[in-house]
Amino acid sequence: MKRFFDFMEKHFVPIAAKIGAQRHLVAIRDGFVGIMPLILAGSIAVLLNQTVFKWIPAFSGLTAINGNVWWGTFAVMSLLIAFSVGYNLAKGYGSDALAAGLVSVGAFLVVTPQSHGDAGWGYIHWGYLNATGLFTAIIVAIIATEIFVRLLNKNIIIKMPDNVPPSVGRAFAAVIPGLIAIYVFGILAFLINKLGGNSLYDLILNLIQKPLQGFSQGVLSVMFFSMLINFFWFFGLHGANIMDPIMNALYLPALEANASAIQQGLQAPNVVTRVFFDAYIHLGGSGATLALILAIFIASKRRKDYRTVAKLGAPAGIFQINEPIIFGLPIVLNPILFIPFIIVPGVLTLIAYSATASGLVPPTYVVMPWTTPVGIGGFLATGGDIRGGLLALVNFAVAVMIYLPFVILADKMASGESTVK
Amino acid sequence: MKKIMLVCSAGMSTSLLVTKMRTAAIKKGISVDIFAVSEAELKNHTNDVDVVLLGPQVRFLLNKMEKTLEPKGISIAVIDSVNYGMMNGEAVLEQALDIIGNK
Repeated sequence: MKRFFDFMEKHFVPIAAKIGAQRHLVAIRDGFVGIMPLILAGSIAVLLNQTVFKWIPAFSGLTAINGNVWWGTFAVMSLLIAFSVGYNLAKGYGSDALAAGLVSVGAFLVVTPQSHGDAGWGYIHWGYLNATGLFTAIIVAIIATEIFVRLLNKNIIIKMPDNVPPSVGRAFAAVIPGLIAIYVFGILAFLINKLGGNSLYDLILNLIQKPLQGFSQGVLSVMFFSMLINFFWFFGLHGANIMDPIMNALYLPALEANASAIQQGLQAPNVVTRVFFDAYIHLGGSGATLALILAIFIASKRRKDYRTVAKLGAPAGIFQINEPIIFGLPIVLNPILFIPFIIVPGVLTLIAYSATASGLVPPTYVVMPWTTPVGIGGFLATGGDIRGGLLALVNFAVAVMIYLPFVILADKMASGESTVK
Repeated sequence: MKKIMLVCSAGMSTSLLVTKMRTAAIKKGISVDIFAVSEAELKNHTNDVDVVLLGPQVRFLLNKMEKTLEPKGISIAVIDSVNYGMMNGEAVLEQALDIIGNK
């Protein structure tokens, strides 16, 4: 075991670290962080229409208010992310972030189909701007910003005389790089169209986004992702943070699809969404460490250190923060806790997936802050359904049962040590 | 006044530690400014601090941050993971003061 850990520390950790600090992934992650207030607003709008506005008859005439909010948030999510990713990437380069964000939005619209169905030319259908276009938006924003930043750095710019105010000069500096970045996509869209393709938008959607999303809804891939997050954590790296760009790109469109379907009174199509993990798997933080805390309170008699850390970590753990436990016990590189820490997310995923797929528990479609406590998260994520909360509690109990024998084992080993001391 | 900035993924768990460090500083009678930011906010704060401490879970930022911070004369280090886990404000404050003292 020791040799395995050493090997991983030497080879796996540096690679993980590189991924965690990779410029484009960081830009995607911060891009999602940036649009989070709007995603929360859209979520609340859908939630209200399904709960309070449904229950109280006097409100039923006002559902259009929430519809309006949904229209400006969920329905245009790709447009928002195009700006946010372009902005953050340019900021990472220390370049003109605002200009890059705007160029990214422009480039995204350049490749967006200009007509839809029988509506004729000149209408952007919202179905192109919602999360369906998320991959297109991210890819286009990254390429457009790369072109923009590189040209700007190469000084392919219009230089203004010294006595022109700096802000005017700055606007002119961005002219040529911005123009070229937009034109690249204009030409690309033209070529794809001439070669018989529908649009760059459809190409990315059908060749990249759809297959990946289909794959991401499989139970094995969901288990793999949730266990991988813990694998990172085991080596002391912020797994949730490293995986965040991927998790958002794959599971936020699934959430948007569910929310939009429910908003329109249809069946939610996806089992797993972005909030599925926070609601059912990360109970008290990655690895359901709140369950570990409870297991320590129940079973750890001799390990004073475990009890101290558990007490210290419990208040933060209720709000899904678990660094004190992960580094305090520590779970990091702990050969006894390695097994349950990796198994727990897999088992919890399997239970939550089966419960949702079989229809026992309704699918998740509401984003809540990731710090929402165990049970309340599941309740809110399913649009205020008590079964969502119950599933989280069942999962919590299962996690306690898995941790218990290992806590007892650690306790027994400690008693052996203490006689030596 | 010396400024100490702590960084983790969301600025949540480090803000816990900040509270403990402030208490430790008051006990010692040292006046320092200690605050926590998220990784995404980090870039907005790199001009007016004396030392940056990274949470061990984002230690992979160290190399990249060293490149941007060292030219500005700002030291950067990773918080000892056991002190971090135990939320040992006193020890982490000590670590930060050592770094400032060695400059």
